[in-house]
Amino acid sequence: MREHPPFQRKEGITMEPNIRFDHITKEFPGVKALEDVSFEIRSGEVHALLGENGAGKSTLLNILHGVYTADGGDIWIGGKRVNFGNPMEALNFGIAKVHQEINLVPQLTVGQNIVLGFEPARAGIINFGEVNRRADEVLNSLGCSFSSGDSIEGLSAGEMQMIVIAKALFHNARIISFDEPTASLSNVEIESLFAVIEGLKAQGITILYVSHKLDEISRLADRASILRDGKYVLTCDVAETPRDELVRNMVGRSVSSYAVRTMPSCVRDETALEVRNMSGPGYSDISFTLRRGEILGFAGLVGAKRTNVVRALFGADARYEGEIYVHGKKTEIHSPRQGLSAGIGLLSENRKTEGFVGELDNSMNIALAALPRLSGCGVLNFKKILDNFNKYAQAIRLNLRDPEVLTVNLSGGNQQKVILAKWLATEAGILIFDEPTKGVDVGAKAEIYRLMEEFAAGGNSIIMVSSELPEVIGMSDRVIVMREGRIAAELAKAELSEEIILSYAMGGVGQ
Amino acid sequence: MNKLKNTAKRLNRELATLFVLIVIVVIFSAKEPRYMDLANLIDIIEQAVINGFLAIGVTFAIITGGIDLSVGSIMAVAIVACGQLAVSGLPPVAVMGIGMLLGLALGSVNGLLITKMKLQPFIATLGTCSILRGVAYVITDGWPVLNIPSAFRSLFQNEVVDGVRMSMIYLLLMAVVFAFVLKRTRAGVYIYSIGSNEEATKLSGVNTDRYKIVAYALCGLASAMAGMVTLARLGTGEPTAGQGYELNAIAAAAIGGASLAGGKGSILGTVLGALTLSALRVGLVVIGMDTFYQYIATGLIIVVAVYFEVMKNNVIKLASRRRQLRQRTSPATSSGASADKKE
Repeated sequence: MREHPPFQRKEGITMEPNIRFDHITKEFPGVKALEDVSFEIRSGEVHALLGENGAGKSTLLNILHGVYTADGGDIWIGGKRVNFGNPMEALNFGIAKVHQEINLVPQLTVGQNIVLGFEPARAGIINFGEVNRRADEVLNSLGCSFSSGDSIEGLSAGEMQMIVIAKALFHNARIISFDEPTASLSNVEIESLFAVIEGLKAQGITILYVSHKLDEISRLADRASILRDGKYVLTCDVAETPRDELVRNMVGRSVSSYAVRTMPSCVRDETALEVRNMSGPGYSDISFTLRRGEILGFAGLVGAKRTNVVRALFGADARYEGEIYVHGKKTEIHSPRQGLSAGIGLLSENRKTEGFVGELDNSMNIALAALPRLSGCGVLNFKKILDNFNKYAQAIRLNLRDPEVLTVNLSGGNQQKVILAKWLATEAGILIFDEPTKGVDVGAKAEIYRLMEEFAAGGNSIIMVSSELPEVIGMSDRVIVMREGRIAAELAKAELSEEIILSYAMGGVGQ
Repeated sequence: MNKLKNTAKRLNRELATLFVLIVIVVIFSAKEPRYMDLANLIDIIEQAVINGFLAIGVTFAIITGGIDLSVGSIMAVAIVACGQLAVSGLPPVAVMGIGMLLGLALGSVNGLLITKMKLQPFIATLGTCSILRGVAYVITDGWPVLNIPSAFRSLFQNEVVDGVRMSMIYLLLMAVVFAFVLKRTRAGVYIYSIGSNEEATKLSGVNTDRYKIVAYALCGLASAMAGMVTLARLGTGEPTAGQGYELNAIAAAAIGGASLAGGKGSILGTVLGALTLSALRVGLVVIGMDTFYQYIATGLIIVVAVYFEVMKNNVIKLASRRRQLRQRTSPATSSGASADKKE
């Protein structure tokens, strides 16, 4: 039988699994993701990593696990310098991760997933009895209600996460990192996850825990380190630190000077859109109004279901309950077609997969949603399509010589502008921007903000879903903060600050 | 001149197929000068007509990102149904009209299975392929329809000029109309964009189901035409006709530049693809090669033609990566690089 790890490791297993980040620096093109980050995680503690979106938490974890290599600095574990080149190395050293997106092979059984890649076998023939025995051993230690022979299909998100944890234990991990583990779990599952984490801690396993939810942090974590804008801020004892102090240290990232209004706000009294008691998968009781000329921000953490709400508004996800009034008229929107004819457009978060068509050129992508207007009896009017391109390419300041360039060959910022032009061309009065500047370079960001302002100034309305707080605060006339599928607060322009938005979004106040 | 250049650029892929076709013609005529005779060249076209109809039809399905494996069976149903109608004494033009409607209807059934029942195109049309083949047998109880009236046959077989039959004219007409639909109508743009990015198309307010059904309906129409040409040519309606023809049709589309991933392909390319296959087949016969080699040669042409496409893309990708690298390393142009900020 192949020498198989339940894991008499030469090194690692005997170590004191304390982790020291030593001047870690990591740069992505155009962005300093981590800058000179140094701190220490004690052996056997639950250590929380806190910070806003883009603070660098995930990057740091990815460097620890060998997914990325740091541009500078070292990681020390148990007094040994370990800069892992790939995740396998890290796993062999005893460091496992339990991440948001769960990668399991649905065709294999629970047990096969747990031992995947390390199947006990003789001459290439898997010993399934041994697979199940070993897998059940770990599953039992976690108190799981399912066993190794079960199939993955039909298990809940929480149960699948247990499998990932079981996998980590199978590899005898001494350090386990959790990245937003509760994002897709029900309350009951969260409870059992916490019980498991406490059990792991009792076994002396060191735990890194990334979460946006302060409740979880104060319940689980011994200490917390805060990152902001890729820089290390401080480490504190969670029990001794009030929540508002944690929040205060997380905010205050350098505000992008572009996300500011350059024109006076032009909100009119007329209501463009009213939503009453909208509910759907993951969200409920959503009621708000949007006025003409207004930019309404939707803030919240990843997983607050903001995207689900706006997609339902546009008709991209068909099912919802509740009522939608467009310009005072009750409107049924159950398909993008109906959304479009109600005068609503959606710039989706996923540009490449949902925003434009790769095989079409710029003029056609810009015309795509307005083709009925640009054709007669179903036959395309190429002159109108070119005029349409010229008009809107000018509006978005796209190179006018480029009608036949494929949109897919443009930069992220220009792609986003083409998508914006597509919606401008539909003459919709309400545009929904879902993360309008995600993956967009700085220059294009500024332009997109200006275009949004111009659009609103023309008496149109914007709903802007954004996880970038400076963007939300800089651009919005009013902000709705969502938390866990509900509206947590509605904030007027004067009330806006990162601290207030974040505390509503994380549930730090009003509990 | 500039305009010519632009046209050449736009027809890049079609020109490549044309090049392959010309190479084949040149090689065979070097070996056997008779190959270049006008009569032989017309024969090549004649041999390409039936596959041509099927191929321009299946091109629609392929561009939407789907496939239609049932074209040969639709063809067979059209053959026996139209055969019986023609024998019953219905005027030939009426039979042709009914045949075309029948094709549209059968194609729409494929479209409905794929959109409303959400079956994968491969599976849905695999199913209808078998069902319709059975239907063709049931209609005639397994017997061929004999004694097709000459009035019907001459509707397709009459020669306009020496050797050029009406069926070729029909194919030309249908190819022009189909190309117009694809390149000049809203439906065409939607069919391309569904194949390239269905989600983005749907989110642009397009009723994607409707246009997919249109694509399969047109595929059915072309298949029925192929059936009627066969019927007229043979003078008998065999329910066994058209078996395996779907693969030749797909091959012609692939050689002509249609991508099974969707979003790519053209009628001109497909017609050239069908001619290429036909030129190859006729050529092998003319030089006296064993027909067994046809299969090998056909397969090689498919693999080589599509491999060229892959190679070309790789070269383009490599070139653009080089360009990007050069830009990144030269400080003057390195500003404004976009990158997703990783959390």
